[in-house]
Amino acid sequence: MPRFRQHIGLYLMFVPVIVYFLIFLYFPLVRGFTISLQEFRMIGDRPFVGLEQYKAVLGDPFFWQALKNTLWIGAGQLAFGFAASLLAALSLGEVLNPLFKKFNQMVLYIPHLFSWVIVGGIWIVLLSPDGGMVNELLKLAGVEQPVHFLAEERYARWIMIGTSVWKEMGYTCIIYLAAMTLINPSLYEAARLDGAGRLKQLWYVTLPQLVPTMKTVFVLQLLGVLRMFDQLIVMRNPAIYREVDVLMTYVYEQGIQQFQMDIASAASFLIIAATLVLTLIFSRVSRYDLS
Amino acid sequence: MQSVKTLAPVKSRREMKRQQQTKLWSGSSDSRLHPVLRTINGIFLILLSATMILPIWNSLVISLSGSLASMQPGLRFLPADFSLEGYRRVWTAMELWRPFLNNVIVTFAGTILHVLLCSMAGYTLIIQHFPFKKWLIGFLFVTMTVPSEAILIPLYIVNKELGLLNTLSALVLSGIVSGFSILLMASFFRSVPYEMQESARVDGAGDLRILFRLYLPLAASGIATVTLFEFVSRWNQFTPALMYISDSSKYTLQLALRSLIILSDATSGSEITTPNVRMAGVMIAMLPLLVIYPFVQRYFVQGLTAGAVKE
Repeated sequence: MPRFRQHIGLYLMFVPVIVYFLIFLYFPLVRGFTISLQEFRMIGDRPFVGLEQYKAVLGDPFFWQALKNTLWIGAGQLAFGFAASLLAALSLGEVLNPLFKKFNQMVLYIPHLFSWVIVGGIWIVLLSPDGGMVNELLKLAGVEQPVHFLAEERYARWIMIGTSVWKEMGYTCIIYLAAMTLINPSLYEAARLDGAGRLKQLWYVTLPQLVPTMKTVFVLQLLGVLRMFDQLIVMRNPAIYREVDVLMTYVYEQGIQQFQMDIASAASFLIIAATLVLTLIFSRVSRYDLS
Repeated sequence: MQSVKTLAPVKSRREMKRQQQTKLWSGSSDSRLHPVLRTINGIFLILLSATMILPIWNSLVISLSGSLASMQPGLRFLPADFSLEGYRRVWTAMELWRPFLNNVIVTFAGTILHVLLCSMAGYTLIIQHFPFKKWLIGFLFVTMTVPSEAILIPLYIVNKELGLLNTLSALVLSGIVSGFSILLMASFFRSVPYEMQESARVDGAGDLRILFRLYLPLAASGIATVTLFEFVSRWNQFTPALMYISDSSKYTLQLALRSLIILSDATSGSEITTPNVRMAGVMIAMLPLLVIYPFVQRYFVQGLTAGAVKE
């Protein structure tokens, strides 16, 4: 106890953190779980109904559509984002002029600075059928009718994938570049002595050495996929709701707009469960196969 | 972060060796790409950078065009009928200054408090022989595994019950501390020699004094990293604002822009929002970030590498 008293100042410094997380994280977590087991009313008693709300969510075709869209868009973002950022990093790594390298690196990172409201706004204008830059370029290429990119279901998901890759590739690219500078130079020398040209060195030295970083990046992005929200809230419109509504927009719509907090909470906990399952699967797979 | 600093000499040494080696081992094996490939690579990068710059440039051009000109189709790389009308209209007539001001308040208050609270918490984690430290770290780790989006609904209820709906305080409070920042602070503080703290303590300095006079100045570049990350994410903060704010006088920039750019398509209001007005709004929101970015890029890279490579 005297030790405790000696450190009382230190505990006081940590108190705000504990209070914050108790009120804004641990309590809502418990509260959310309770609500998901109840029939929710803002006023009056809330009878427990067991797993009824979960059954309601799992029986809702919109939930399954949202799950399908999440996986579709998420898989696209993961795959294309992975390829694009890695390609950009490898390409930047081969630049000899430091100024040119720095400039490109800086430019690639810029879109990551902005919110989805800004990025979404910019692309909505670029893709607009009346005078948007993309359609003007298509016109130059000989396409006569302007394409209504954001109003047609068949383009919707691809646009969500493309704009996300555009926004985030610079960020991931810099992580790879940082990891590349940590590769032991003697590995390249050994490869060179064995007669490997630069392309072979990239294939046999750089890529394998980046695998641990790739795994970290992949896990972080995988967890982000189930939580994607801002982009879709900003870029969707009634014409493409069916194709781009994702799990979190489903939760938002049910909970805040239709005020069915119980259904929304049950859906949230299904998302948390799915996140845990995905993490477990990935840690299993990566331990046995990749490393 | 340390590793990045020490990299420069390693690289130049590598460069020297490489030059020696290419003399000795000229021929098929080289540490550089074939000149043709190198040119292709350069062109590829220029195109890639162009895809990043053009959309932003396009927005700037539209924002500086006159209202009528901005509605006319056609590829343009310079403003047609140059005018600041878009900015004037969005700032005064559509009162974007109000959300802008709200954004400034929320961003500054939030960032300062975040850095202050996280540095205090991070400091406690580096004190040796501090009872229950393991518990505190465990407590933090749990908070980092719970995705904040997953408790969207109960968080809304908590804010409602605390009377925080439609207040800027709700936005300042949201994410006022984070496990990630605290651990990052602790790792920056750990690079300061512990003996300095002990001798300061012998001289009679208290914990707050040691933190503010010793650690914060010595770990300044680390603090700068956390501050900048927080500044940018606060400036861009969208989901909490969407959840907690419905009164338009409390709108932040992101909410105002959302209704300006995206929702104005759907609502058939009394006047049409012309493209130059919308893009002027976008440029106003981007400007503070673009202005600080060139100066702070170093810290961004530092923060990224501290976060990612360390694991």
